[in-house]
Amino acid sequence: MIHPSIWGQTLSNASRSRLPARWLAAAALWSAIALAGPSPPPGLMPLDGRPAPPLRLADMDGAVTDLGEFRGRWVLVHFWASWCTPCRREMPTLQGLRERIPPERLGMVLVNTAETDEEVFAFLGVVAPDLKTLMDRDGQVTERWRPRGLPSSFLVDPAGRLRYIALGGRKWDGPAYLAFLTALTGAGEGG
Amino acid sequence: MIRRPRSGWLLAAAAWSAALAAGPAPQTRWAAETPEVRIRLVARSPDQISGFYRARRLPEPAVEALRRACLVTVGIRNLGDRVLWLAPERWRFRTLAGREVERLSRAHWRRLWARLGVPAGARATFGWTLLPERRDLQPDEPVGGNLTLVPPAEPFVVEARFPTGRDGDGPPVVLRSPPLTCPEDAPA
Repeated sequence: MIHPSIWGQTLSNASRSRLPARWLAAAALWSAIALAGPSPPPGLMPLDGRPAPPLRLADMDGAVTDLGEFRGRWVLVHFWASWCTPCRREMPTLQGLRERIPPERLGMVLVNTAETDEEVFAFLGVVAPDLKTLMDRDGQVTERWRPRGLPSSFLVDPAGRLRYIALGGRKWDGPAYLAFLTALTGAGEGG
Repeated sequence: MIRRPRSGWLLAAAAWSAALAAGPAPQTRWAAETPEVRIRLVARSPDQISGFYRARRLPEPAVEALRRACLVTVGIRNLGDRVLWLAPERWRFRTLAGREVERLSRAHWRRLWARLGVPAGARATFGWTLLPERRDLQPDEPVGGNLTLVPPAEPFVVEARFPTGRDGDGPPVVLRSPPLTCPEDAPA
């Protein structure tokens, strides 16, 4: 809460009478900053906030995940395939991100596009052993999300709306991305 | 039906040898960079094509159809600070004599896969291996994928055109390749 003493000045009667207006202006400024959130690093493009398409898929063990379960926190939704060279470069950085920002702050939903269990197991087991992926076996969920290519990552806000898309593969555990995601998901706490 | 010219290729190569003697020999690779865009093209041999798509579990009839096409792997990055547009339908593929080389669009392959009964998963995978048909390319954004052509019997030149502007109606950034060729398989 902003207290009038933060202005650090002696207020005349006239200026006291203008205090509510100043208060309102300050409050509006703070609200705008909070709503705008941290600035995204290069390679992360803001989206218009349309609702995220449905996403309900099983992993290799048959356990089903629904994106709706993540309401109330930010989620990174990542589409990938092991044959895609940029996907192979990017995946270890997602594991690095997972190690630095806990799932309570940032959900992570990986979706493999139309590969087999064997292909996925052989790849993830070596490159990112702590990550699990959902299996979009016929590629139809990936199509509905209309990614710009593979790999493709979306940031979904706590209300289930699409807020950012990554342009190609990105270094998610690099300083710029970690700082942004830490600020973004920290701001969401308690909100 | 697409057919890779084989014996015809030799004839054409002979016919073109004189013309090419004055210029660079056709290559299977091309890379270029300007302050605005970086592009890299690699034409694939039939064995490379079938090796890749068999490993992706495309059915054999689909792999055979792809082997008969000229498949060019393309990598692009927008190096500038303005939006470019990727629209392969605006690119030009011409032989040195000026004959147009037909590009095989996604629609062509969709129709063929439907006729061949290619499973949905394999169709999806194939689709993601193609260069997008039309979309914006943001600053610093990379994009990659394959272009498919009816194999020309002669070396050909690629004119890659990247329109600019908010709606892609601005003056294009244009890069032109040296003569390229679709490689045959190495002799066994």
